[in-house]
Parts: sequence; C-alpha cells; structure tokens
Amino acid sequence: MKGIVFTEFLDLVEERFGYEMVDTIIEKSDLPSKGSYTAVGTYDHAEMMLLLGNLSHETSIPTNDLLRLYGNQLFDTLMGGYKKHLVNINSAFELLSAIESYIHVEVRKLYPDAELPYFETEILSPDQLRMVYSSERKMWAFGLGLMEGCFRHFNETAHITHTLLTEDGSSVEFIITRNL
Amino acid sequence: MNKEIAIWQRKWEREKNARIQAEAILEDKAFELFEASELLKKNNEDLENTVEQRTKALKESQRRLETFISNLQYGILLEDENRRMMLTNKAFCSIFSIPVAPEALIGADCEAAVHEIKNLFVDADYFVSRIDQLLDKRALVLGDELYTTDGRILERNYVPIFYDDDYIGHCWQYRDVTQLRLAQEQIKLSEEKYRGVIENMELGILEVDNNGLIVRAYQRFCEMTGYNEAEIVGKNAADLLLTEQSKKTLEEQTDTRNKGEASNYEVQMLRKDGSLIWVVISGAPIFNTNKEITGSMGIHLNITQRKQMETELKEAKIIAENAQYAEKEFLANMSHEIRTPLNAIIGMAHLLYDTRPTKQQREYLDVLKNASNILHGLISDILDIAKIEAGKIEIQNKPFDLIGLVRTLQKTFQMRANEKELQVEAMIDARIDGLVIGDELLLNQILLNLLGNSLKFTETGHIGISTRLLKRQEGKVAIEFKVYDSGIGISSEKLPMIFQKFKQVDNNRQQQHRGTGLGLAIVKELIELQGGTIKAQSELGEGTSITFTLSYADGGNVELQTATNIPESVTNHVPLNQLNVLVVEDNEMNQRYVLGLLQKWKIPFDIAANGSEALALVQKKAYNLILMDLEMPIMDGYNATIAIRNTHNHNQRTPIIALTASALIDQKHKALGVGMNDFLTKPFAPTQLKQLLIKYAPNAIDNLNGEVEHTFKFNEQLDSSFLDIFYEDDMNHAHEMFDTFLNDVLPDFPILQNLFDAEKWEEVQKLAHKLKPTVAMVGLTWLEPLLLLIEQATRKHPVDNLPNIAQAIEKVNHDLQTYTPILQTEWQRLKDFCVIAT
Repeated sequence: MKGIVFTEFLDLVEERFGYEMVDTIIEKSDLPSKGSYTAVGTYDHAEMMLLLGNLSHETSIPTNDLLRLYGNQLFDTLMGGYKKHLVNINSAFELLSAIESYIHVEVRKLYPDAELPYFETEILSPDQLRMVYSSERKMWAFGLGLMEGCFRHFNETAHITHTLLTEDGSSVEFIITRNL
Repeated sequence: MNKEIAIWQRKWEREKNARIQAEAILEDKAFELFEASELLKKNNEDLENTVEQRTKALKESQRRLETFISNLQYGILLEDENRRMMLTNKAFCSIFSIPVAPEALIGADCEAAVHEIKNLFVDADYFVSRIDQLLDKRALVLGDELYTTDGRILERNYVPIFYDDDYIGHCWQYRDVTQLRLAQEQIKLSEEKYRGVIENMELGILEVDNNGLIVRAYQRFCEMTGYNEAEIVGKNAADLLLTEQSKKTLEEQTDTRNKGEASNYEVQMLRKDGSLIWVVISGAPIFNTNKEITGSMGIHLNITQRKQMETELKEAKIIAENAQYAEKEFLANMSHEIRTPLNAIIGMAHLLYDTRPTKQQREYLDVLKNASNILHGLISDILDIAKIEAGKIEIQNKPFDLIGLVRTLQKTFQMRANEKELQVEAMIDARIDGLVIGDELLLNQILLNLLGNSLKFTETGHIGISTRLLKRQEGKVAIEFKVYDSGIGISSEKLPMIFQKFKQVDNNRQQQHRGTGLGLAIVKELIELQGGTIKAQSELGEGTSITFTLSYADGGNVELQTATNIPESVTNHVPLNQLNVLVVEDNEMNQRYVLGLLQKWKIPFDIAANGSEALALVQKKAYNLILMDLEMPIMDGYNATIAIRNTHNHNQRTPIIALTASALIDQKHKALGVGMNDFLTKPFAPTQLKQLLIKYAPNAIDNLNGEVEHTFKFNEQLDSSFLDIFYEDDMNHAHEMFDTFLNDVLPDFPILQNLFDAEKWEEVQKLAHKLKPTVAMVGLTWLEPLLLLIEQATRKHPVDNLPNIAQAIEKVNHDLQTYTPILQTEWQRLKDFCVIAT
C-alpha cells in the first residue's frame, strides 16, 4: 500500500483527534514500520488494517465509516497532486468512467507493484453509473468515500447506493445517480 | 508533561525515520531514473541509426527505381490527374526527339505537348483523338500501334493509376517496335514461303493433336487421300487413314515421337475411294511455347510407284542372282566334268611317249600334249575364278624356298623359250635369303601366269623376273616382284583393262594368242587375297612389266638337311638296304618292271606317279638316285628336275636318271640341260639299270652281283635271248610280267577282231598301239611288227589295207592261242623258281 495512504491517513487522524491519538494507535499497533511513513514508500496493507482497527476502537466509530471519511478527505489531496494528469476530465462521471480505463493504467506505470481494486463500470444512462468493486482488501467504503469526494470536488451532487454482492465485502455494487 | 514530551519525541523519531526512508527511496528512484534515462538514450541512438539506415536504403531504392525508369527501353511518361508531367525518361525523349533532359520536363503541361508532337504521326488527328478517348475511359489499354511519318512503328500502353479508387494520374509507355515488326513480318513471309514450297513439292502435311485427332489437313494431303479438309478434321487420323499393319508401325513410332524426336517411316494408307497408297511419313512433334508437346505434324510423300518398282527390282534381283548362281554352278560343274576326261587324255598322251613312237608320231604327240595342256589351263582358270568368287581359296602358311621357286621358274621358262631364242632372266635380291612363310602354290601360280603371258607375247629379246626386298621388320618381309618382257606391249588405252575378267586386249590377236582372258584377273585376285597390290606398266611395242608386292612372314634360315650335305662317296659305303631310290614314272607297266628289279635287289624305293608327287617326296627324304620319266601328266620330268635342282630340298644334288622312250638326241640334250645326270632308254634290260646303279652307287651294285645267280632258262619257243637280256636275273619281275600279261593283257586281243569287224578303225588302231609293247615282254617279239602294222594301217588307209590288217589280226590271235599254254607253263615255272630263289 502506497505510503501516501498512510501519511494522509495519519494527517487526517492528527487533524481530527490530535497527534496523541496518532501516537496511541501507532503504539497500540505493533507495526513493522514502527509508524514511520513516507508518501513515496510502500507498506504492508495489514498495517493500515491495524491502525484502522485501533482508531475505530479508540473513537468507537465503525471502520467503514472511518474509511468512507478518509476516502472523502483523501480525494482532494490526490486531485491536488495529480490533477495535471487529468486534463480532459471535467466531471465526476468522466473521472469515474476513467478509473479502470485510464487512471489505474497510469498508476500501474508509476508503481508496478501497486495492488489495485478492479472496477467494472457500466453506463446505465447519461446520469447513472453502475460500478462493481472487486478487491481482496474489502475496502469498498474507502471507494465510496473517494466517490463522494469526487462529486464534491467537481461541485456536483449524487445519490450513491451500494449493495454487497458478497458477504465479506470483497465485491460491492454501486449505483451512482447524479443530480442535475 | 513527560507524556507529551514522549509523544513529541516519538513523532520526531517517526518523521526522522520517514525522511531517511524517503531519502533512500528517492536515491533508489534517482538511480533507476538514471538507468532508465541511459536506456532511453541508447534506444534513441539505436532508433536514430535504424532511421538513418532505413533512409539510406530508401534513397538507394529510389535511385535504383529512377535509374531503372530512366534506362527502360520503354519511353515512360507519368502524368498526374491534371495532366502535369511527373516523371519521364531518356527513352521517351529519344522516341519523340525531345532535345532536353527528362528532368527538365517535370511539371510540363502534357495536353499542350500532345499537340506539339502530333505531327510526328502519320495520322495526327487520330493520335490526339485516341489520347482523349483513353483518358476519358480510364481503362488499361495495351498494344496500341502508331505509325510515324519517318516510318517507325510505336507500340503504346495506357495505364491509369488509382489510389484507393481515386484516380491520381496515368502512365504512358511507348516502345519502338519497328525492328520487331519487320522481323515478325519476315518470319511470316518465310513461313508462308516454306509452306508454299512444301505444298508445291507434293508433300502432304497433316497436323494431329496428342490424341491423334486431325487438327489440320493441307491441300496436298487432301489430294493425296481424296478427302477434303472439312471431312476429316476432328477425326482420328489412324482409324480413318491407316491399314491394320500400318497402325502397328505407327504405334512403334509414337514412342519415338513422345520422346520429342522426329522420325521417318513407311506405311500403307487408305484413300477415300478405298484404294491403297504407300507413303513415307516424316513425323515431328509440335511444341507450344512452354515446350510441351501439343501434337505432331506429319509430312507425307506418296511412294506407291517407288514401292512397286522396289518390289519389281527385288524380284528381278533374286531372279538375276539365281541365274548367275546357276551359271556359276554350271561353269564349275562343267569345268570339272571336262577336266576328268581331259586328264585321261593328258595321261594317255604321256603314256604314248613310252611306246617308242616314230619321229612323226612324237610330233603329233607334242601337238596333242600342248593342246590338251592349253585346254587344261583354260579349264583351271575358270575353276580358279569360280573358287575365288566363292571365297573358297584358302591361303596356306608354310615355310617355302622363295628364291628356289624363282630360279626354278627361270629355268623352266628358259627351257620353254629355247625354241624362240629368248633369254629368260632372273634377278634376285641378295638380301632375300632363307625361307619365307606363305602360300608357295599361289605364288607359283601367279608367276607362272605372268611369265606365261610374257612368253606368249614376246618373240625376241628377253623375258624376266626380278625380286627386290622392300622392307624387313617385325618378322615380316615385303617383297616386290617384277615380271617383264620385251614383247609386243599394250597401248595405254588398253592397259587399264588387263586385270578385268574375260577381257583380252586385242581381239585381232585372238587367233594367235589364245586364252580365257582370266589369267591376269586371277593373278590380281590371288595377290589381293594375300594382301598384296599389283600394277602394270607397258607401252605398245616396248614390252610390258607387271609389278606386285607381297608380304611374307620371315621363315628364318632353317636349312633343310639336303643331299648336298651328303657327299656322293657316302653312297659308296652304305649297305645296300639303306640305299634309297625314287622312281618317278606314270606308266604302270614300266613302274612294275623297275620296282620288280629294285625289290629283287632289295633296294628300298619310293614311287611317284608324276613330277609333282616327286617334288613332295624330295622334300621329305634324301635319295641316292632318282629315276625320272620325262613325259608325265601334271608335271613332266624336265620341270620336276628343274625344281629339284633349284629349290632347297634334300635332293638338290642327287643323281637323276632320265627314263625315256625316245632315243632322240635333242631330247637327251634337253634332259641334261635341265640338270639330269644320265638317261636310260625304255625298254631297258636289268643290266642297263644295273650299270647305272654301278655308275652312281658302285658299292651297292657289287653286292648285288654276289647275291643273285641267273639259273632260269626260258622256253626256246619264245624269244629267250630277248627275255634273258630283258629280265637278266630278275625272275620275280619276269613272273610278274607274265602274270600281268596273262591276266590283264591277253583278254584284250580278241577285242581287236571285234573292233575290226565293226569297222571301228580308230579303236582298232588305239588298241593295237596299246598292246604292241606288251608282247615283247613275254618273248613274243615277232608279234610286235604285226601290231605295228595293224596300228599304222588302220590309222592311214584302213579301207585300202583291209586284207593286210585282217591277216595280221588273224596271225596275232592264232599265235597267241598257240603260245598261251607255253606262257602259262613259263608263268608256273617262274613262280616256282622265285619261291625257291627266295
């Protein structure tokens, strides 16, 4: 998992709960990296799961809600860093449609070792998208947060429903209906 | 507070570690980046190199294309869709006599140019309108032909060019085909010419495909077969036109033609009207441009007449050959048939010499002998030529004395030439010595013939034979023989004829010089059979010389053990029974008489019936004495003596005693002349022979005297004094003579009367002559004049002397009747005496 996901996550925890919380969850989680993350590094996904689990425990907020929140927050950061690569993308739908066909392709070029989820994207109507999330990470809530961040970024609103296609959340269907 | 510090401390620791991690990662990334950059640079360079190479290759390819186009034999003109010139070449400029470089024309307006060059063409308007037409249709057109005013023929192709269905221009291709068209025209004319020639030569041409179906039939062929072309095209040529036999011939030929070879054959062909003709077909395969056989062409020549003639000629030839064979057979048979009685004539003639003929009778005998010899020669010639032509002459390869043979011939001919006062010469190359291996008889025959001719045609001067050694190598000797004379010669026009059969040079001379005209032809054949050559040289009145060469194997210097090596004195010391006498005598009575004496004296002897047999014997054995009759058939005593004296044999110096019935001096001279030592006149008494033996082998005869005692007394009623002298002490001989007379001669006497009664005078005469010498041998000497009377009277005037003859015959028969018992008694007495004596 890319280091930026950790650094942004810990920045968000620090911003919301103070550095003491950051220190607490790091200390509670016995981490191979010892909690030292750099945005350009790559770390074990399990560390994120430990940190999330401990944060959820400390704050009594469900993990998926934390992930959704984090995704929402992270989108702006990611856009800030990579917007120059997305010159022809002017709407949330355009970006969502481009995830599998363009964004993930480019990410793999930059980080050949990245483990990315798979999105099957289907345009149901000009205003409705069907996206099916598939990943052994089971971080569909993180995806949902990112989608919400995306709409916010383009000053758009949308109604997003999700249905777990598998119990463990490794495959989740999203129906995204944008508001005009 | 401490807790806060600890947190901050941990945060600081974490960030420091993160920074160190980031730095390490960045360094790695920087290194990766550098490597990637290097790789990229290298890729870039490779790419540039590749681009450079590709560009170069492209340029080369373009250059080649340009060179190719500019050097094309075709004049190329490439126009764009607006008829602007894009590309042209030298050939184009040259064809249209445009005096600028092809590059200078690029961009020119082709439509305008058409009008500038249109006047080059015979039909300028057509040139322009045709271009417009082609451009309008935009379809590929090849092979337009255009004629220029200066006599050229141009071939033009129009090729429109499309790119993705869009018309983007077109290409004109021009080619000067003047020479090509002229050549094609020439070929066409030539083909027509030869086709015309063949058609006019009465050669029928037929073309068939590979299945034998007629593709084309030419006029002459149609005339030959009686069909017209439309009737037979598409039909099977063999089925329609050939007989069954001819089809087989054709099938055999098909294999040959399938191999692509031309062939000739004769077949019988069926005409439309059912008649048959013979044709000779020359067939050849027809090839297409891929060298595959598409069919064949047959040229037919009607040879029906020729075939007919051929058959007739064959028949005629067989008839002629049969006739010729029959003729030869007849000739050979007749010659043989003639020879048999002729031999009897010759033999009898020689025997007559032994009957003590008178001088006149001897002259008659000579004529008889010569005539029969000539006849014998003629018959022999005919038989010889028949043998040569039948290839029945076998060449013997035996050692013989070539020089001896030449010397013998010289002597023989000298003897024959004496009456003409001709000199017979022999020149012998001293380098020829010893024996040669070859056919002696053939050489003898050749030389006899040539010398015989010389002798025949030469009256004065000389005839001769010369030999010359041409070369001696590898055990071979090549010898040149020349037979020459100073005779009448032959004119240069007639000279080439002399070796031809049945040709005699001068018909007018035939009366004087008889012959078959075969002599020289035989000589030539015999020489050529032995691998030799012959040529003649002559001038009318200046004599003739005939030269021939023969090659023999060298027989070396094998010396025969000759009598020359035995001194005469040796005979004096040898015991009696080791003496050897050769008796050469053709008369049976004389033979018996001499042999009786020799047997009685226990002298070993051999008998030869003629000179030729004697020659064979003298080669084998050395004799102490040879008794030689002079007149004998086949070879007489003179020739035999010459041969013995002149060739290598065991008896070159053996004494030869002539036995002659004649007491003529010239004959005796002749005998001594050829090398005989002495002579004995028949009939002779034993003492006469004994004297000769004493003279030539005295020791032996001395022994004889001591051995034999003469005690037998003949009956006084017989002429005992004659008998005593005649038989002397040889009663064995006397007994034999009496025996012969009583058994063989006596029965002939009554026949005399029969013949006389039948008035067969000639036969009476012959018989009397035959009986005459026999009577004296049994002591009836007084009957001899009576028989002579009968003989002479019947020969001259039998009718005038009939009483005398009748009386003589009666007397002879009467006396014989009277004396036969006495003779029988004497025969018994002699027999008893001989038994006691032995």
